[in-house]
Amino acid sequence: MKNFVVFLYILFLSIFTIFSYVFLDPHITQLKNIFTDFSFDQRILTTFFYISLVVIFFIFYSIFIWLTVRRKINTKDVIRLVIITVLILFFSYPVMLSYDILNYIATSKISFFYHENPYVIMPIEIPGDSLFSFMHAANKIALYGPFWILITGIPYFLGFGNLLLTLFSFKIFVTAFFLGTGFLIWKISKNILPVILFSLNPLIAIETLVSGHNDIFMIFLVLLSFFLLMKKKLGLAIFFFTSSILIKYTTLFLIPVFLFVVWKTIKKSEINWDKIFYYSSLLMMLGFFLSPFREEIYPWYAIWFLPFVFLISKKKMLLYLSILLSFGLLFRYVPYMFSGTHAGLTPLFKSIVTFVPPSLILFYYIYKKLWGKIYSR
Amino acid sequence: MIRFFRIAAFSIIFIFIITNQVFAQSSYVLPYPSSMPGGFAYKLHLVYEKISKYWYFGSLGQFEYNLKMADKYLVEAKTLFDYKQYLLGVKSLEKSSSYFNQTLPSLRKSEAEGKSVSQKRIILSEAALKHIEYLEEIDFDTPDVFIWEPEKSSPISLPLKKILINAINIRKDNQ
Repeated sequence: MKNFVVFLYILFLSIFTIFSYVFLDPHITQLKNIFTDFSFDQRILTTFFYISLVVIFFIFYSIFIWLTVRRKINTKDVIRLVIITVLILFFSYPVMLSYDILNYIATSKISFFYHENPYVIMPIEIPGDSLFSFMHAANKIALYGPFWILITGIPYFLGFGNLLLTLFSFKIFVTAFFLGTGFLIWKISKNILPVILFSLNPLIAIETLVSGHNDIFMIFLVLLSFFLLMKKKLGLAIFFFTSSILIKYTTLFLIPVFLFVVWKTIKKSEINWDKIFYYSSLLMMLGFFLSPFREEIYPWYAIWFLPFVFLISKKKMLLYLSILLSFGLLFRYVPYMFSGTHAGLTPLFKSIVTFVPPSLILFYYIYKKLWGKIYSR
Repeated sequence: MIRFFRIAAFSIIFIFIITNQVFAQSSYVLPYPSSMPGGFAYKLHLVYEKISKYWYFGSLGQFEYNLKMADKYLVEAKTLFDYKQYLLGVKSLEKSSSYFNQTLPSLRKSEAEGKSVSQKRIILSEAALKHIEYLEEIDFDTPDVFIWEPEKSSPISLPLKKILINAINIRKDNQ
């Protein structure tokens, strides 16, 4: 039965990878031959397929969690499932749901090809570059931290100036940190459930392995710094924590927790790591919910808190809420996919699809509590 | 009666035309004046300026830096001229001209590096027009020569007209 599920999972991931190419941008000339314009011409069908695939992805996720809880999956199976997921989704089209990977490449190109400061010069200021003509944030200076810009020199140079090659070299780079984060979760928790919860979570898989968002690199560094603190390696921990802040600044929210752990480490007192990860998840969630003040809640921002939530999977309510939030967040793409506009009712529908699934579990929890109280009387 | 109104209308239009100064028109926007010489904040600004030069690395970055500084010091010079602080005003104007003089070489360097600078050339041209507009305004309200008489040293003659014409010519040359 287990092998059959894995076979279906492989089939599903392959279909998802093929489906990602219906979103192909005509400007990527190397893939011109397979450009169909399907996602623009057939909005209803595209939306239907996307919703179905996300739902199926979550069904597989639930099955694998269930199999893990029932102890029907061992460490070898976990490694096999993670490798399958990574290998198949690696070949998906990265600009399917977000143009961020193009922003990373553009920032890198401004720094390493044009030798300009990406915090001063916007892509739009260098006309004539074909990449800058179709990316979505050409009128913005670099939004990411200096360490990210510096480190993207590696995938940028490995792309040898070829856009398609650069896109996939950025994907390899991000995938490496996805695997690294999974490995750290396993080392920290010494349990395969958090690894399954993290590595096979559809939101994390899609936003990292398909879209190649850099949030995973920030989380990898912060988890590495916590892991080093567990090993009492203070200097390295501070270095990696600072590096993580210099990726995307969000881990600034973790400063109070980090300082507390440093203080405890110096004092050589006992550290309750479950509490540390619990407060870390809450602080990163705060950052997530404050993001509309800057722009809006983007689905991949959930990567900020999900790994911490999965490390404390005993906190059932928080776990269910987070998983359902990750489910809802993937539907934020649907209103635009369907209507083709970011205006009108799209923002309202985005909010509805995001918050209805976690609200349902919240209401169920409140109902159960109330029912329990009434029943006990 | 009609003849009287015609003459009156003609006179009004004629007076309006001969009294109205027509300056070069540019949509380029200059910044607000920053801190002025003499204060502690101004010294900090000078340090910040020196450091930020390295932040604006790259030929396009240098173009932006030089133009930004040229704008800043021009606005500073105008404010100082308005308050008849000619000695300080001339210093600021010379700084502005010096920065403006470096804008075109930065663009030429960018061009040599294969960067398209067509948009930047338009910006520079608009900036030059606005600078000239500003300098002509200063010239309109400024004496041709000003004798600065410090308390403890000999007087200094400032050929303001010549300095302003020189500044205008620098803008015209770099347009």
